[in-house]
Amino acid sequence: MESLDPRVNRMNLPSSFDEAMHKEEMDQLATYEVFLVPKEGKPLESVGPVHASEIEMAFVFGKEAYSRRFTCVAMAVCPTSSIFPSPVSEAGQSAYELLTDQAETEGDEQQYEVFHMNKRGKFHKHVGSLMAKGPLDALHQGKEAFPEETPQNVWVIPTSDFHFNSEEDSDLWATLPEKKYRDAIFYKAGDKIQKYKDSVNS
Amino acid sequence: MDNQAAIELLYKMADDDLIIGHRNSEWTGVGPILEEDISFSSMAQDKIGHSWGLYKILHQLGESEPDLVAFTRNAEQFHNCQMVEFPIGEYDFSLIRHFLFDYADYHRFEMLENSSLTGLAQLARKIKGEIKYHILHARTWMKNLGNSTDEAKERLQRSLDTLYPMALGIFEKSPYEDQLISDGVFGGEEALQTRWLDSIMEVLRLTDLNHTLDSAASPLIGGRMGKHTDHLQPLLDEMSEVVRTDPTAEW
Repeated sequence: MESLDPRVNRMNLPSSFDEAMHKEEMDQLATYEVFLVPKEGKPLESVGPVHASEIEMAFVFGKEAYSRRFTCVAMAVCPTSSIFPSPVSEAGQSAYELLTDQAETEGDEQQYEVFHMNKRGKFHKHVGSLMAKGPLDALHQGKEAFPEETPQNVWVIPTSDFHFNSEEDSDLWATLPEKKYRDAIFYKAGDKIQKYKDSVNS
Repeated sequence: MDNQAAIELLYKMADDDLIIGHRNSEWTGVGPILEEDISFSSMAQDKIGHSWGLYKILHQLGESEPDLVAFTRNAEQFHNCQMVEFPIGEYDFSLIRHFLFDYADYHRFEMLENSSLTGLAQLARKIKGEIKYHILHARTWMKNLGNSTDEAKERLQRSLDTLYPMALGIFEKSPYEDQLISDGVFGGEEALQTRWLDSIMEVLRLTDLNHTLDSAASPLIGGRMGKHTDHLQPLLDEMSEVVRTDPTAEW
């Protein structure tokens, strides 16, 4: 593929994407999804991934990577591979309407946590938990359980795949509200830049 | 209450946190993976914050302002234990130092939660969550690497053998030990060392590392009395470079 942008040319992209690109397997750590409860009484919401060697390490990394910038009262992590997503719908349409695969009918029931992304670009928020025979069954049941909602994407995740912080560790987040200096927005450099410009121009 | 005893305690705690915070910040940008770089740097920043809190209490007790105290003293006026001033070395060294130091730091502040020095007790309660995270971080890494490859275990073991006698220097006794205990300011270095040893043994038992620590190891002491290695002064010079260049600089 030829482009006017040399950066695109350097990527050596094929002229068509009919076949999946071959990708070397990388020696890379697995990813985990981090979820925070931003305030008491608010639902758990996904904030982003971390790389880690195992789930406890993911919790340790998730805490520093994400809870420093938002207020937070509790945290959970799960392997990204445990997340079973629905198709993504367009605005105004529910992702639940796009389910085509049949729900599992065999197997033991286990508990799943259900998350809705109500608008593209927003976090997935926890809406409830339910018992299901498999992830597709969980999605189909979610459709029944949350008839009022029109999420653009749904995640179902087995409850047992989560690592939650314990009650006694709730003081981990105690000093966060005082750490505004960790936000770039805390630093008001405009005045100093203006002063410098004035001094150069005068 | 005679303030001298409390002042001595506060200085050594504040200096420990300032120096290890500065040392650990040297990993910023070069940590083993991005997530660890962020975590280790944030904890280093926490330590500097803790030292600031302690210098502020010292200021209330009549000592100079925090910035002056932090940036204008020479090495022999610092009371940190020598362990914290050593260069960062390779990651195993920094990780074991973090593990040994932070468990002592955690238990020290835990013991101070009910100190008769109320400002110090308040600070101890306030930063408890942060130090709890520091030991969670240390314990998780120890459990992970301490059960992983031969190279990881050999490296951790070597650093542990090197750093254990240095860590014993954390508990170098103050001349005011009895007074601090009887005034209810602090339960004393000996009680602290016992709690610390129990905790680090508990973590070591979760790993394949050697669980028997050398009970005859001679502690690396002197730091509390202002005796330091050649590593401290260059660190202080670097830390105070801006202040020395322009004492009125704001940033």
